[in-house]
Amino acid sequence: MDNVVVCRGLGRVYTNDAVPVHALQGVDFDVAPGDFVSLSGPSGSGKSTLLNLIGALDRPTEGRVTVAGVDLATLSDSQLADLRLTKIGFVFQAYNLIPVLSARENVEFIMQLQGVSATERRERAIEILDALGIGELAERRPGQLSGGQQQRVAVARAVVTRPALLLADEPSANLDSKTTETLLDLLRRINVERGVTIVTATHDPIVIRYARRSVRLKDGRIDADERTAAATA
Amino acid sequence: MPLTLLSRLGWRNLWRYRRRNLMLFSAILVAVAGCVLMSSLIRGYQYDMMDDAIANLTGNLKVMAPGYRADPSIARAFRVPQSFAPDVPPNELVGWTERVRVPAVIVSEREARGVTLIGVDPAEERAISFLGGVAIRGDALAGPDDGRILLGQELARQLDTDVGRRIVVMTQGADGRNREAGFRVAGLYDAAGTAIEKAYAFTGIRPFQKLLGTDAVTEISVRLKDDRFSARADAELRKDLRGLEVLDWRTLEPQAAAMFQLADAAILIWLVVLMLALAFGLINTLITAVLERVREFGMLRALGMRRGAIVVQVVIESVLIVASGLVVGIVVGLALIAYFSNGIDLSRWAEGVELAGLRNKLVPHLLWSDVAAVGAFAIVLGLFASAYPAWRAVRIDPLDALRR
Repeated sequence: MDNVVVCRGLGRVYTNDAVPVHALQGVDFDVAPGDFVSLSGPSGSGKSTLLNLIGALDRPTEGRVTVAGVDLATLSDSQLADLRLTKIGFVFQAYNLIPVLSARENVEFIMQLQGVSATERRERAIEILDALGIGELAERRPGQLSGGQQQRVAVARAVVTRPALLLADEPSANLDSKTTETLLDLLRRINVERGVTIVTATHDPIVIRYARRSVRLKDGRIDADERTAAATA
Repeated sequence: MPLTLLSRLGWRNLWRYRRRNLMLFSAILVAVAGCVLMSSLIRGYQYDMMDDAIANLTGNLKVMAPGYRADPSIARAFRVPQSFAPDVPPNELVGWTERVRVPAVIVSEREARGVTLIGVDPAEERAISFLGGVAIRGDALAGPDDGRILLGQELARQLDTDVGRRIVVMTQGADGRNREAGFRVAGLYDAAGTAIEKAYAFTGIRPFQKLLGTDAVTEISVRLKDDRFSARADAELRKDLRGLEVLDWRTLEPQAAAMFQLADAAILIWLVVLMLALAFGLINTLITAVLERVREFGMLRALGMRRGAIVVQVVIESVLIVASGLVVGIVVGLALIAYFSNGIDLSRWAEGVELAGLRNKLVPHLLWSDVAAVGAFAIVLGLFASAYPAWRAVRIDPLDALRR
């Protein structure tokens, strides 16, 4: 089966005050279907930049990115938006739920943008919330949920559409270690049981331990790429 | 585009910033209610003015001989066929009358004054002109054969005469020779303004025709239930009375007609100024709402919401708040019109009121087209005011927004 993500010669240069900053340089990086990859490294190493390029939120200054067989360079802004909507699920560090919608409505949100019927939306949202153990909180709004609960809703929103790829940017940054473990158990279950490919950028050693493949970046290049103990467990 | 979703988001976001939006809602409500009430008061003034102009012996339409306006002499009188009646449907017609109207000099024992002396059928006249609404001290004219004279109070004061006294009228007859006759004062009428009282004196049409030596009339005046019926009535009169001029009140009273148009302009200016002032408040509020939610808009874009949907969401929020303020504002405006339906008493400022051509009681006059105009302006305002904030919202870069 083709790789879900294929990056070739990827480079991203930011120009701040006329001084070019090479956030990524010549990165070749592939992700196989069903993999669970952590991108780690010190601040400024390029892990978030790589995640944003894979997530079609940013465009590279060099090289190409292919996601689910689609070369992102060939897509317009609207087509990139459609790709994010249909192929990629996002989990953000700050949860980023819509505050005026309930947990269920947040989960239904992307399906509604995709044009899924109301009945199917509701069924799928309730099913995933139940599966993630927060079914009883379905009608609560984000402000009435704890950080861990909100992040679970964010995960439910990201995976309910069965995306080809789930991207998580520092998903545990605002969670305590116990909640982090619960979230990672959840991500692993989604990865194993639903076959969702996950790529996460993280500083957190617990997250790296849970991933099956650990990619470490340094100064905008891949410094190490190895299978973790979780891959062989 | 998921309009249901965007509408739900828009509606809930209104409640999310409820204090700020309540202020804006109140401003829209007050502005809309003010516009509805103010336009009805201006319309009240405008329609009073039109009624006064029409009642001032003009009618909606008047038939005269060519040249009579420039030279109002009995020589330009015309004969009306016995069978004539204006071909206007009864449900559109208030009434019509024939008059003999000539310049004359009235002489009392002490003074002499130039007036317009009009021979009328009092019953017909009362149905269509201001004579029907004035208070009369003494007697009203009894009929078209009444040979007495009805003077305005102010004219009687200037002539130093009174009810029951005799005055002498001098005018020119149909043969061009001067005529002179004595008239007994039947009564004194009290019109809204002294200008009318000084200008017009009335007598029965038949004795007056006899004095002038003619059976012709100088004008036919037609009063309609609504000025909108004028065009059709005008065409019928021209067809039936060929060779005569048919003029409407706007031509006969150009000053009143200009004031009528000015009132239209006043309503428009009032509406535009108020709505523009409101637009700045609305734009300011919407921009604040967008800037406070940069991260949220960035997240929506990151999740795959298209730019068009972001624009629609901002526009929906704007239109929703304008629409709710508009609906409640219209209801409040209509309630205020109902409250003032008996008129606002301006008699405390009677002198100024007369100078301004107002009546002592200003009664609001509701035109649904004005309410529709307020509604249309407000909706356009909502769309216009959301354009810049929506543009700001779509320019948000999702990556920058999510980094905040």
